[in-house]
Amino acid sequence: MVSSPMSEGLIYDKKLSSVGPAYATDPDLVYEPRNLDLAMKLHFLRGIYYFERQAFEGLTILAIKEPMFDWLNKYPVTSGRFRRAESGRAYIKCNDCGVRFLEAKCDKTLEEWLEIRDASLEKLLVSNQIIGPELGFSPLIFIQLTKFKCGGTSLGLSWAHVLGDAFSAAEFLSMLGRLVAGQDLGPPFDLAQSLTKSVISHDPPKVAEDPIAVKRVEPVGDNWLTPTKFKVEPFYFDVTATHLAHLQSKVGPKFGPFEAISAIIWKCIAKIRGKEMESNVVTICKKSEEGNKVYGMLGNTQVVSVVKADFPIVDAEPSVLAKLMREEAFDMRDKIDEAMARENGVVDYVIYGANMTFVNLEDAKFYDFEYRGQKPVRVSYWVDGVGDEGAVLVLPGTNEGGGGRAVVAILPEEEIVRFEAELKRERLIA
Amino acid sequence: MAEPPPPLPDFSQSVKLKYVKLGYQYLVNNFLVFLLVPVIVALTLELIHSNPHDLIHLWNSMQLTSLHILCSFFLIIYTLTFFLMSRPRPIYLVDYALFKPPRSFRVSFGGFMEHARIVLADEPKSVHFQMKILQRSGLGEETCIPPAMHFIPPRPTMQLAREEAELVIFSAMDSLFQKTGLKPKDVDILVLNCSLFSPTPSLTAMVINKYKMRSNIKSFNLSGMGCSAGLISVDLAKDLLHRYPNSNAVVISTEILTPNSYLGKERAMLLPNCLFRMGGAAILLSNRRADRRRAKYRLAHVVRTHKGADDRAYGCVAQEEDSEGHIGIKLNIDLMTIAGEALKSNITTIGPLVLPASEQLLFAFSLIRRKFFNSKSKPYIPDFKQAFEHFCIHAGGRAVIDELQKSLRLTNEQVEASRMTLHRFGNTSSSSLWYELSYIESKGRMKKGDRVWQIAFGSGFKCNSAVWKCNRTIKSPVDGPWADCIHKYPVYIPEVIKI
Repeated sequence: MVSSPMSEGLIYDKKLSSVGPAYATDPDLVYEPRNLDLAMKLHFLRGIYYFERQAFEGLTILAIKEPMFDWLNKYPVTSGRFRRAESGRAYIKCNDCGVRFLEAKCDKTLEEWLEIRDASLEKLLVSNQIIGPELGFSPLIFIQLTKFKCGGTSLGLSWAHVLGDAFSAAEFLSMLGRLVAGQDLGPPFDLAQSLTKSVISHDPPKVAEDPIAVKRVEPVGDNWLTPTKFKVEPFYFDVTATHLAHLQSKVGPKFGPFEAISAIIWKCIAKIRGKEMESNVVTICKKSEEGNKVYGMLGNTQVVSVVKADFPIVDAEPSVLAKLMREEAFDMRDKIDEAMARENGVVDYVIYGANMTFVNLEDAKFYDFEYRGQKPVRVSYWVDGVGDEGAVLVLPGTNEGGGGRAVVAILPEEEIVRFEAELKRERLIA
Repeated sequence: MAEPPPPLPDFSQSVKLKYVKLGYQYLVNNFLVFLLVPVIVALTLELIHSNPHDLIHLWNSMQLTSLHILCSFFLIIYTLTFFLMSRPRPIYLVDYALFKPPRSFRVSFGGFMEHARIVLADEPKSVHFQMKILQRSGLGEETCIPPAMHFIPPRPTMQLAREEAELVIFSAMDSLFQKTGLKPKDVDILVLNCSLFSPTPSLTAMVINKYKMRSNIKSFNLSGMGCSAGLISVDLAKDLLHRYPNSNAVVISTEILTPNSYLGKERAMLLPNCLFRMGGAAILLSNRRADRRRAKYRLAHVVRTHKGADDRAYGCVAQEEDSEGHIGIKLNIDLMTIAGEALKSNITTIGPLVLPASEQLLFAFSLIRRKFFNSKSKPYIPDFKQAFEHFCIHAGGRAVIDELQKSLRLTNEQVEASRMTLHRFGNTSSSSLWYELSYIESKGRMKKGDRVWQIAFGSGFKCNSAVWKCNRTIKSPVDGPWADCIHKYPVYIPEVIKI
């Protein structure tokens, strides 16, 4: 990311520290991510919650940090650090190292900032760290609290996808809001005493093909950075309620906003990439029906399915694409789980961006995170570590949006200008 | 840590020895009784055998005039009054309050090491050294450091130091006022000790300002006196209370860590970073008769020993600049030896004051034997377990407690308070003795009449002790910093903790 002259000095007075669980966790406790979690390990969620002045008004930084200790006490996993078992499988040692915390100030007011809406500037409000180069000393979560000139505050959450999907991350943060409101979160989630999954298998390695939902990358070792050919960058746009209505009229009334938006975007991307490069396989991620068995628990439970089109996308009707997405998506979770198990959890996969990926975050409860009764005025999310094929996240619109959606397209840098033009042509944006 | 089982002695022999010992102690300690009882019995028998006429005859032969009788009477009265008036006023410890750091100041081993690695990224050897110290330190994972030291890198500003001082001292004071019902305007004497942070206006001035104390308060701010300064403050308050009748004194012992976070890489100076933690105590002492009933303890003795005349002792704990200009506290390698010598000096002075006559006699015999007959024989170390029920050894570090346990031949239970305080709160410097006392009370072990020995070491090199006698049995549960975790203690502390 090239820092423009505008971004220098914009965020200042940075103070780095850590916050961790209030009570000592038994140092022998461990958490073993499941196969589906490890498949997501190269991805990192970045979220920014913007609050108006009243949310954090009058609070010293110590007063803001204090409830975080009780909050993190409920999730001792988040304060742990990765280690490798003998078999090479990564697990988390719950050693209370904590979550990294950065305070900063910004020269602009919240209103000025939100008007800019520049993706590269938004990166200043949240950490861009990944896990690595040393597993044992890399925090899993970074929190950045930036105070704007007017008193508004942004809370930037940097979240390792191996811990859980965006729905888990949203739930995790909502717990903080509930704690601040006075609710008792209950005892910490249980942890295991010993490693059960990290067993060295003595069976001969089974050779099988990787499922199409994933892309195997060159081993990254302990530095969990997705190797890509192109530089992928996020591009935001809002789909207002009117545009959405227009869209749905194009696609047909049967389909929801996510399918409508995704279908149009699939077409746009296909147009940009041309027939040889066009992606006729896409991955779709959405919230699973069963969700987590235990309320508030973290994990990657989202549905990962693939859709294959036997016809060229460029000429297809959006309604056909939407129908395909809805009715012919194959749930790939079991296959991914098997593939990972075959490799004892040691292989490095990319899921977002292995194929063109559409992530349905409409149901993610981002706006449920209330701080002292104040809901965020805006929530931005994107993913770092996306593969070359790119990804599109469809987020809920802001509260005032009244039915609109926020969309983040994470694409190779060169495609973004043309993509924007295509969107304008399709009248998705003004 | 299991001790090897002692070799089984000859049973009959050991029983005989035990009774001999007990007999000897009983005889020597109650010597006067054994001397006087026969005399009184003889006199009584004599009185019974003689008839009244002989007694009247004896009385008349003494030829006592009324003047003689009157003078003798007045002499007795005068002597008695003089004796009673010249006895020092008893000093009572009414109650004390301890600072309990909030959970958000907690530092775990993993967190400490991770921060150390980032701050000293270019000095892996120094980081590794700190890890080794931490693993063997005897500290637990719930000790606390001030906010300034949680930053990467630490930000030891004066503003944050003042904030830490205000937090620690004011919360201990608020708790003390609430526990004792004392009003700020009633405080006559205020003594505060904080070795490494000495701003202007002083910390005592800060307290007086906050609580709006009287203008004729006698305040003293002791700085630079090290970890044993807590007992120096108590000694000063005691002297003042002897001078001023019907007064009370508040003693505040604390160590403000913020200004002293060492940012360099010298190993001898990194030790305090690993061991020192936040803590503070506020104690109410009084010489008023009205406090006699509600006071928890009575001060019996304070003995101060200063080895500063010896150059080695003087230089063994020193604050200095390292080669890069970072200021830190350097601990010398012969610290334990010097501590041992200082302790011996202190014991020699305090022994005669507290030991029962039986032990003193044995010690005297051993001394005579060593001086005149065989100077190579081992010195007799008196059994202090007979003089005290409880021991509070300054939780300076695991090595200090181990050394003292060995030299004073104390049991594990007797050093438990020190070890557990080191585990839960770390080395809180001058206030650690009070956390240890609170531990003993919280465990319900403090009974009326129990004697407590507090021993503290500090830079200089000093060894100070105080002896308290428990005034009333203290019932648990006790409101204090141990309230929420006493049920977990004692814990087993391994030799080396795996990080």
